[in-house]
Amino acid sequence: MTEQIEATVREVGERVRPQIDEAKRRLSSLDETVTGYIKENPGKCLLGALAVGFLIGKIARRAA
Amino acid sequence: METHENMANGRSEDPAKTIGERVGRVSDTAQEAWDRTRDAMSDIKRAADIDGRVERNPYGTVAAALGIGFVLGGGLFTPLTARIVGLGIRIGVRLALLPMLKDQISELADTVGGDMGMGTSSKRRRGGKAAKTGEGS
Repeated sequence: MTEQIEATVREVGERVRPQIDEAKRRLSSLDETVTGYIKENPGKCLLGALAVGFLIGKIARRAA
Repeated sequence: METHENMANGRSEDPAKTIGERVGRVSDTAQEAWDRTRDAMSDIKRAADIDGRVERNPYGTVAAALGIGFVLGGGLFTPLTARIVGLGIRIGVRLALLPMLKDQISELADTVGGDMGMGTSSKRRRGGKAAKTGEGS
C-alpha cells in the first residue's frame, strides 16, 4: 500500500515537474523583462506608479 | 485716421503685431517654465539618487512611488489603509510569534519527554527492584 502511494506520488511529481520548470522559466523571463523596462524608463515608471497610487487613494477616499 | 485714433487712445501699435508678440511672449514663458521644471526634476533626481535606487531595487522604488501617490491621493486615513495595515500587522505578528512558539513548544516537549523518560526509567528501576525483591522472596 505504502509503496503504491509512493509510486503514485513519484509519478505525479514527474508529470508535473516539467510544467513547474516551464512556469519558473516564464516567471524568470517576465521578471527580467519588467526589471529591464523599469531600469530603462525609471521616470515613466515612477510617474505612472505615482499616478496609479494617487488614483487608488482618490477612489479609496471616495469609497470611504 | 485710424492710426491717429489709436494714438489718441494710447494704442499706437498694430493689433496683429501685438497679439503675435503676446503669443511669442507666452511661448517664451512656457518654454522657460518647462526648462526650469526639467532642471528641478533633474536636480531632484540627482539629489534623491533615483536612478541608483531604481537600478538597485526596481520593484521597491515603484512600490514606494505607488505608496506616495496613494498618500497624496488622500487614501491614508481610509478603511482600505486600516485593512491593509491590519493585515500587515497580523502577518508580522504571526511571523514573529511562530518561531518563538515553536521554540517554546519544542523546549516543553523536550522537558516533558525528559520527565517521562526519567519516570519510565525510575518505574523500570522500581519494577526491576520489585522483580528482584519478588524473586528474592
